[in-house]
Amino acid sequence: MNIAIAAARRPVLEAVPKVALRDIRLSFTAPSGETVPVLDGVSLAVPAGQFVSIVGPSGCGKSTLLRILSGLVKPEGGHAEIDGSPIDKNNERVGFMFQRDTLLPWATVEDNIRIGTDLAGIKGDKAKSRIGELITFLRLDGFQKHRPHQLSGGMRQRVALGRLMAYEPQIYLLDEPFGALDSQTKAAMGRELLKVWAAHKRSVLFVTHDIEEAVTLSDRVIVMSARPGQIKRDVMIDLDRPRNGRDLRKDPRFAGYIEDIWAALDLPPDVL
Amino acid sequence: MTTLETHSIAIEKTRKPFFGQTAQLVRDRLILFAIVLLLWQSATWFGVDPLWISSPSLVAQRLWQLGISGQLQKHMQQTLTEASLGLGLAFVVGVPIGMAMARFKYANAVAEPFIMALYSLPRVALAPLFIIWFGIDLLSKVMMSFSTVLFIFMLNVHEGLKTVDKDMLDLLRTMKAPRHYVVTKVLLPWLVPWIIASLRIGIGLALVGAVVAELIGSSSGLGWYIEYSAGRLDTTGVFAGLVSLTFIAVVGNLLVAALERRFSSWRAS
Repeated sequence: MNIAIAAARRPVLEAVPKVALRDIRLSFTAPSGETVPVLDGVSLAVPAGQFVSIVGPSGCGKSTLLRILSGLVKPEGGHAEIDGSPIDKNNERVGFMFQRDTLLPWATVEDNIRIGTDLAGIKGDKAKSRIGELITFLRLDGFQKHRPHQLSGGMRQRVALGRLMAYEPQIYLLDEPFGALDSQTKAAMGRELLKVWAAHKRSVLFVTHDIEEAVTLSDRVIVMSARPGQIKRDVMIDLDRPRNGRDLRKDPRFAGYIEDIWAALDLPPDVL
Repeated sequence: MTTLETHSIAIEKTRKPFFGQTAQLVRDRLILFAIVLLLWQSATWFGVDPLWISSPSLVAQRLWQLGISGQLQKHMQQTLTEASLGLGLAFVVGVPIGMAMARFKYANAVAEPFIMALYSLPRVALAPLFIIWFGIDLLSKVMMSFSTVLFIFMLNVHEGLKTVDKDMLDLLRTMKAPRHYVVTKVLLPWLVPWIIASLRIGIGLALVGAVVAELIGSSSGLGWYIEYSAGRLDTTGVFAGLVSLTFIAVVGNLLVAALERRFSSWRAS
């Protein structure tokens, strides 16, 4: 009750971003006992509906950033907020997706997606029709009763995406969700994701190693430095939508963005 | 009987059966069984005194007689009741304790050396004490059976929970899943193969517990019948008892194998 009143009283400010990170700091203790800083003052504001990719060298803390936003990890310093209130005091639904599909191996495709509707509090016929819609949307028709081990890697990730969508999150946190897939499947999954995003216009934070993928999908690409992670560049991707991978590759602006991000990454020559 | 062993059993049994070869496999097993019986029977033809090893035909006759008089059913039922109550009780008590061991890590670290000490203790040696505590009736046998099997469930469930997919648990945490949802949707289904592996080992151990307690003090059951026959140098009676025990164990294992096929098909990957 109180929460409802508080929400009603709060003035609607366009300026409040969907996701806000301010001066986030985090370190972990190595087995040797020394303290290793992971994130060193990261600030980022994501408006509602924006598709943001985060790229950076391995270990730069980009996955940790998502874990902070999902509430799995508490930062040592700084503030992480959704809709202007701290993560742990927030009832906003946040959807997480890992590189591994993390499906229940004993449950059917339907039952795996049902976890999303269950935890979103959607029940009965409504849940049933929602699951049916998602199965059609993700081209999983005919596989309702299959178990994960009977599916290909791409299909398993589509099921994981279905579970995420069934949860109806306000924010999508995707941690290299297509990183384990071959390049064609990856491209297909990217198109799938853009379809989802176009239909619902949720904020997306997408961690990836693949710069082309990041530019193809995003409104904005954040480039992080090596550990301790800091934001090095914030690149707005001004390319028309809907985007098509083959056309994009002929677009000189696309190549420009890629070049720009590679330069910002400034990796030592032996990495390339 | 380490938990590692039980794990490998769980995996091995879920491999796909050799389709089309099943009939051949059954046939060859029956042939092997017939050869063993034949060797046993022929030993008496070659001059081994049936006093020592009896013979399949004598044992079959004895089982037939015991069956007609109702003695066989009585003793089998007695032992079966003791062992299954012990096994059931060990399941009901051991699974929650195993889950608590995984949940309360510090308490488990405190208790672990004591648990392992009890686990390593030959529980058979407790039989005289259990007779004093629980009498010579059903209860002492059930408790013996229970104490032999309990640790199998505890340690297997604990071990099983250590291997639970952490990403899966993290994912449910990000979705703010309530604890009971995580337990019923993830932890319990995850434990099914571990529990079935425990049952598989538990059946044999539950029989050990029941029979040992019967040998020490009782007036019925297959253990008692074996002890009674041995006391009268009646090896045919001893073998009749052993065959009946083996029969119970084999049927129990077949039931577990059926359970396994029913619940672990997803492990085929």
